[in-house]
Amino acid sequence: MDFEAVIGLEIHVQLSCATKLFCDCPNSPGDAPNINTCPICLWLPGAIPRLSEEAVEKAAMVCLALNCRIQNESAFDQKVYYYPDLPKGYQLSQHHRPLGKNGWLEAAGADGNSRRLRIHHVHMEEDVAKLVHEIEGRTPISLVDFNRAGTPLVEIVTEPDMRSSQDAMGFLRALRAQIRYTGSSDCSMEQGSMRVDANISIREKGSDQLNTKVEVKNMNSIRNVCDAIDYEIHRQIACVQSGEPVVLHTRLWDPDKHVTTAMRGKFAGPCIPDPAVPHILITETRLQRLKEKLPEMPDQKARRFVRDYALPQETAALMSAERDLSEYFEAVVRLGPSSKTAAYWISAHLLPALKDHGQSPADARVTPERLAGLLVMLENDEINAGSAKSVLSQMFENDRTPERIVEQSGFRQVSDADALQDIVLSVIEKNPSAVENYRNGKTQAVGFLMGQVMRATQGKANPKRVQEILQKALAAS
Amino acid sequence: MDTELFAHLNPSAEAALNGPLAGKTLVVWPSISVRGWPAEAGSTALKGFAALEDATVVERLKKAGAVLAGSSQMSELGFGLAGDTAALILERGSVDAALVADALGEARAAAARVRRFGFKPTHGTISRCGLIGLIPSMECVGILADSPAAISRILAGMAGLDERDPSMLERPKPDFPRISEARGAVGVIQESEERLSPEASAGFKQALSKLESRGFRIVRTGLADFDLFSTVHNVVGSVEASSSCGKYDGVRYGHRAAGAKNWNEMYLRTRAESFGLPVKSYLFQGAYFQFENYGAFENACRIRRRLVEGIEGIFKTVDMLAFPTLSGEFRADEARSIEAVYDAFSLTLPASVTGHPALQIPGLAVESKQDFGLQLVGPYGSDAGLLDLADRMLADL
Repeated sequence: MDFEAVIGLEIHVQLSCATKLFCDCPNSPGDAPNINTCPICLWLPGAIPRLSEEAVEKAAMVCLALNCRIQNESAFDQKVYYYPDLPKGYQLSQHHRPLGKNGWLEAAGADGNSRRLRIHHVHMEEDVAKLVHEIEGRTPISLVDFNRAGTPLVEIVTEPDMRSSQDAMGFLRALRAQIRYTGSSDCSMEQGSMRVDANISIREKGSDQLNTKVEVKNMNSIRNVCDAIDYEIHRQIACVQSGEPVVLHTRLWDPDKHVTTAMRGKFAGPCIPDPAVPHILITETRLQRLKEKLPEMPDQKARRFVRDYALPQETAALMSAERDLSEYFEAVVRLGPSSKTAAYWISAHLLPALKDHGQSPADARVTPERLAGLLVMLENDEINAGSAKSVLSQMFENDRTPERIVEQSGFRQVSDADALQDIVLSVIEKNPSAVENYRNGKTQAVGFLMGQVMRATQGKANPKRVQEILQKALAAS
Repeated sequence: MDTELFAHLNPSAEAALNGPLAGKTLVVWPSISVRGWPAEAGSTALKGFAALEDATVVERLKKAGAVLAGSSQMSELGFGLAGDTAALILERGSVDAALVADALGEARAAAARVRRFGFKPTHGTISRCGLIGLIPSMECVGILADSPAAISRILAGMAGLDERDPSMLERPKPDFPRISEARGAVGVIQESEERLSPEASAGFKQALSKLESRGFRIVRTGLADFDLFSTVHNVVGSVEASSSCGKYDGVRYGHRAAGAKNWNEMYLRTRAESFGLPVKSYLFQGAYFQFENYGAFENACRIRRRLVEGIEGIFKTVDMLAFPTLSGEFRADEARSIEAVYDAFSLTLPASVTGHPALQIPGLAVESKQDFGLQLVGPYGSDAGLLDLADRMLADL
């Protein structure tokens, strides 16, 4: 039997708000334990939650970026369960009336083609406290850190539209780019500001049946999500083929062993409308204001890059895929270099170097000003491409201007015709056999002679000029 | 001063010289937070818990010059009136007023018990911040005092938007006191009379004829669903209470059971030991609706909206509604089961379900030397008018 997988994702995204969702405590879970707490996020008797406007706005931006319909009225519910990370006994979440519904994203699938994947809804909720289990020592203890309690999240629930781990990966990348653009979150799985749970089931290929699903958690990179889904698909196929039923439960991904292990039965507590938090009303006017605040999104930006910078479609898509990269690109172009040179150097040389140095366009040591300075010199033929590469790598090591590095390293290109003429003639004189070969029709001999000239100038000669002079000199000799 | 009736006495109760409430003394339930005072709300679950901040109402009353004499005893978490001493402290003249949380009608019934005035404002006009509550959508701070005018002054000191309680109505602070010339129609819901003991019924009729003699028109009206007020309150109230009490786990404050082997056992034993029987069965009932019968809860919410619409409909034809405060002898202090509690408050809880303002008036519904109390319920936001009307009506009588 041929199987296919049915995959839906539940993605928690931590909103980059200044405060928690229901109080004024800093939204900074990584601080010293239990520093960012108050009677509201500790849920002490008598405290009343106070919904953050910033969180509503950032969550609404996420909804817009994911093409969701924002609801005129949404509300918080109490998701009831008892666990030490949730000492008030319920989590405030939007179960019955979420903020946004019916969204979609275009994402590249396994075949490379773009496909529209549906999003069921986007809702707001508070995060719970963090438990730290100290299992070593004579008495195992569990510590609770309330810094994370009440921090603002949105949960994005997709339709089960994905059929492979590649689909899921494409979706997550597109989702991350869209949300990062809005500034609502940095969506880092490694830092925990984006957490992905995958619901996976399998069925006979061609069937439209939905079988028992298994939830997989604890992946801390998009790569992990991909691996965990693949593992789970194979596990379920093996299950079915050996005649065992797939049971509804939750599994944990073990990133070291590359396996999923059973965690617990899936528990769904009741959800009761919360009587304290006022409903969120988004009027048409407010919705318009929110839409105006939404920045230019990747698709729009790519179209503008094609139009304004004459970039090829593919390059425009690359330069606009991430907001900070697109801003870096435009900053470079504003400072002089042509858009084509800028796009080429950013994708071919800057991005790999940033990766090697663990930097991002936003915090790159090679600022747009420095890269633009370098590319202007290159385009003015003051240096050649080889020197430019070496200047770029030096710029990652120090903060000197590219002009200064060029001077200090003596990279300034020799374009002076007289000086090059002398060098070319002396190379021709020293290499009679190559000249002979050239006359006998072996055109690659030109390349050899070029190399000799570059060597004699320690790579500083302007290759275009050298070529012209060399051709002329050979013809004349 | 009757110190034995107090749970906590203010060690520095000095009268302020200025402010609209200068020199007035109050006693509060220990579910209303006063910074540094024990705020155990009558429950072992909060044993040893001291309030970190003043409740908004307390902060405002202090600013207006009022003095808090101390806190009284109260029923567990304000569910009913078992063990309440606030009304008794007022009765003995130790204070000018008492603040009592009103979730089923506790403030009104406690006032009726000691033949005083008791008032529950429109839900959402007084901040609940700092009130250790049970049923957020129904409860609010109620006021007991010797006259409607005294209640009005305290209400004026407490009311108004509070940024710490966003669940409040976004309505400007009512103009206190507002002059009302209304002397119009008083509605009586016939179904409510069917629950009265013969004495209470006779007392209520006395009160109505006194109103008529002062020029009010009595209008008999009906609300077929009236009996559902209790059921709706019971279902919605217990569900909200179950959520509200989820936080009492004995970890940071309150009683904690000794010797548990793991956290589950600690929670279970702590909660089993922390609540008294009426509250425990109420929470258990709420959890039942949450986990096992959510549909019944949804129905209760729907019926609640219908009841609100029903009462609002009646307010189109009458200026206010009249009920006795008590349907029979005062027994709320002995009620120790859900059924007994709901029975004792059957005529006060409708205004809690709908959120309308309600005033208990002593001395009018009297029969065989028993005062069953007359309750006037007004439209939303008519708080000041209702108190003012009662004040002038009593001056006439």
